[in-house]
Amino acid sequence: MLSTLKGMLMTLRTSLRKPVTAQYPKEHLPLMERQVGFPALTWDADVGEPYCVGCMVCVRMCPTQCMSGTMMDNPLFAEGKSPRRKMIEEFEINLGRCILCGICVEVCNFDAIEMSHEHEISHFARNGRRSDLPVLLEMGKKYQAESNWISPAVKKEAIAAEKAAVAAAAPPAAAEETKDAPPEGEAK
Amino acid sequence: MILLIPLAVVLAGLVSIVVLAIGYGGEDVALLLGKALALLSILSVVVLSLTWVERKALARIQQRMGPMRVGPYGLLQPIADGLKLLIKEDIMPAWVDRPIYWMAPLAVFVPSFMVWLTMPFSSSLVLRDMELGLLYVLAMSVLSIIGLIMAGWGSANKYGVIGGLRSAAQLISYEIPLIVIAITIAMMAGTLNLTEIATGQGNTWYVLMQPLALVIFLLAGLAEVGRSPFDIFQAESEVVGGPFIEYSGAHWSIFFLGEYINTFLVAALITIFFLGGWSGPLLPEVAWFLIKCYSVILVMFWLRGTMPRLRIDQLMAFGWQGLVPLSFLNFLMVAFAMFYGWPDWVQTVLSLTMLITASTFLYLKTASKKVRPTVRLIPAREVRRA
Amino acid sequence: MVNMGPQHPSTHGVFRMVLWVDGERIVDAEPHIGYLHRGSEKLCEGELYPQIITLFDRLDYLANYNMELAFCATVEKIMGITVPDRAEYIRVILCELNRISSHMLFYGTMGLDAGAMTPIMYGFRERERIQNLFEAVSGARMMHNYFRIGGLREDPPDDFAERVAGILPALAQGIEEGDKLLTYNEVFLARSRGIGVLSGQEALDYGLSGPSLRASGIPDDIRVIEPYSVYDRFDFDIPVGNNGDTWDRYAMRVEEMRQSLRIVEQALEQMPDDGPIKAAGVRAIPRPPEGEVYFRIETPRGEMGVYLVSDGGDKPYRLKVRPPSFANLQALRPMLRGVYVADAVMILGSLDIVLGEVDR
Repeated sequence: MLSTLKGMLMTLRTSLRKPVTAQYPKEHLPLMERQVGFPALTWDADVGEPYCVGCMVCVRMCPTQCMSGTMMDNPLFAEGKSPRRKMIEEFEINLGRCILCGICVEVCNFDAIEMSHEHEISHFARNGRRSDLPVLLEMGKKYQAESNWISPAVKKEAIAAEKAAVAAAAPPAAAEETKDAPPEGEAK
Repeated sequence: MILLIPLAVVLAGLVSIVVLAIGYGGEDVALLLGKALALLSILSVVVLSLTWVERKALARIQQRMGPMRVGPYGLLQPIADGLKLLIKEDIMPAWVDRPIYWMAPLAVFVPSFMVWLTMPFSSSLVLRDMELGLLYVLAMSVLSIIGLIMAGWGSANKYGVIGGLRSAAQLISYEIPLIVIAITIAMMAGTLNLTEIATGQGNTWYVLMQPLALVIFLLAGLAEVGRSPFDIFQAESEVVGGPFIEYSGAHWSIFFLGEYINTFLVAALITIFFLGGWSGPLLPEVAWFLIKCYSVILVMFWLRGTMPRLRIDQLMAFGWQGLVPLSFLNFLMVAFAMFYGWPDWVQTVLSLTMLITASTFLYLKTASKKVRPTVRLIPAREVRRA
Repeated sequence: MVNMGPQHPSTHGVFRMVLWVDGERIVDAEPHIGYLHRGSEKLCEGELYPQIITLFDRLDYLANYNMELAFCATVEKIMGITVPDRAEYIRVILCELNRISSHMLFYGTMGLDAGAMTPIMYGFRERERIQNLFEAVSGARMMHNYFRIGGLREDPPDDFAERVAGILPALAQGIEEGDKLLTYNEVFLARSRGIGVLSGQEALDYGLSGPSLRASGIPDDIRVIEPYSVYDRFDFDIPVGNNGDTWDRYAMRVEEMRQSLRIVEQALEQMPDDGPIKAAGVRAIPRPPEGEVYFRIETPRGEMGVYLVSDGGDKPYRLKVRPPSFANLQALRPMLRGVYVADAVMILGSLDIVLGEVDR
């Protein structure tokens, strides 16, 4: 009986603890920064057009082949307002088929698609979550706003510029050092 | 199918009148009927509250909240459950034995209800205070076993029949320690009248003299009701279904009602026999009675949350090899104590000794440090070297 | 003849078992599988190597990181890639945490099969801690797609080491609590001792692996006898059982959880603070040289083998998966002869099968 009594004591102690339940949908647990939601297309607010140029790499790489799209000539490029020659015309993701693997984000060369934090997309119709371009851009804008999104290309440039600045400050000091001792770079 | 509920009520009412009317003679039939129906409604409210308490208690043991959405803190959840059961479709297989299939829930429910006609809620609140109350209670509670067999048989499902017979075997075997303990208590109190057993304890509750009897009665009562750890005939994860396998909707709700009434009955009996019934300072007697009943029920829920369930043969072995001899030994001990006029503390000591010996014996045989299975730990580097 | 059909509360997935019963005893049992067959191996032949990682995630869906590791390590072996140290350590930490979470689920379902309804809640509470960590690292609680051929997809977050160190004490306490509740409980012992005994030689004959094999007395652990990744740098113990019954198989996994905690602690200490997380020179879509390779790892269920035949292209020619649960299931039939029907559920639970990898 001793083991049983020990077990009963333990359940008694647990019953006095605070429950770990978060009562969904009234309470939502906080989402992690990297939490993977459904893919969404990003919007370039500086130029006023989507980042996506319609290269279709993501469409080809998707394991479930849930995306489709068409490419067109960018009218803003003809007007000289945008550096992108081509622009996405129509884009559709069947969010019901998406397996949230993130491969599309990895292979995109234009930072045009991101995994947003959207995960509550239930719908009544079977293929009711076939989202077209405006819906995806809406999701993208929402994600960009709530996560203070900086395009990874811009981020990479910033890091490179910072490294270059550090390196520029170091060579005058390195010229005075001998070959053996490593130069004391400026603390970042 | 929903007709079953009013049918049950009417049947219960009629039978109660018959029982109550015996020996009264000139009492007003309408008054008796009214009292019986009032008792039925009180019991229904108690049962509904029990379902809520069970879900909340189990949830807290599992570190989660129970029902929270239906009404504040889920207090209206039992009503939602009851409503759901009533409006569910009653699926009845085509080849069941119809009369037996229909009668089985009633055969389980009506005796369980009839027991309550003589259970006292306080020294003055009892529907019919019988001199042979204890005998009546034990006799009626055994009647519902027939209902289980009928349920199994009427299901026209060979595994339902097996399940029904198994559950009947379990219930019958665990009646024996229950009855022996009840007799022991009756011996100590000197009467079969439930009210007098409760009030006769005064301030020295019988639990102080008979802790072993309380434990045996609790375990036997759990087996009677069919709760964990003895709920093998109701469990969903078992391959062979139990006697309730073909029941749904309103039919099943009657079984459900019967089970919870039985749970409350066992708790009430424990309270009356061992915990001094309704004695206690300050609060009215009914309040103390209910507080003690609910405490016992919480212990039953606590056991349900903690223990895995026993297999049917282990269950029978535990009953016949464990509880039955212990209850008889206890009976002998009380008989000797009363015959030789030993003071009360001798009973306490003997009872505690037996309880501790029995549990230690069980522990030593199964789970003590010497006997428990162990696991060897081989360091990885030894295996790497080899 | 009793049919424990594909929809059953305790068959651990869509698994059908047909039992021939004589009274209360089982005379013979016939498992039927294939209800979760999704054609994974055939799909692999049509997908590029980075896409196959998503398929492997879903094979044994309780030990995702171990599956990804199996595949990535296979391709790394055939291509001769050395994964940088930091990536290896992070892989080991994540795999061991996944082992703990898988065994926690096993602990819960074992309690449920025995009839206790609280262990599963405790097990899932501990799983939540681990899955929150996984969400912080890879973005997803289960299907991570985080390992890449040559390393990891991206650096874990900066507070990775603190996060892991933070949940370790809570996990240790959770394991102890679970132990106290179920392991030596008299009723649980009565339900699981002496049930479904498999001797060591029988276990080897049936091709068992993993904790079920170690319960029968054979100290076989691929992390030790054929170390992969950086497992040869850790000091841990291998639990080995004495009887080969259901209780032993259960206790193996509880003990393994504790050993996994030790490995995680050592890995946290030994992990380099920075360094590359991907091997240099690996293309985004690798093209392994022609050849074939077999690689095996120790998943929470046993020996998982991946046999890859490459023809030099960017898709495999043939990818065969040797799932541990499939081989472990073979031992089910002899174990079930002569036991009570109520024990069948316990024995099946103690083998800890996942239908995702049995059926692929």
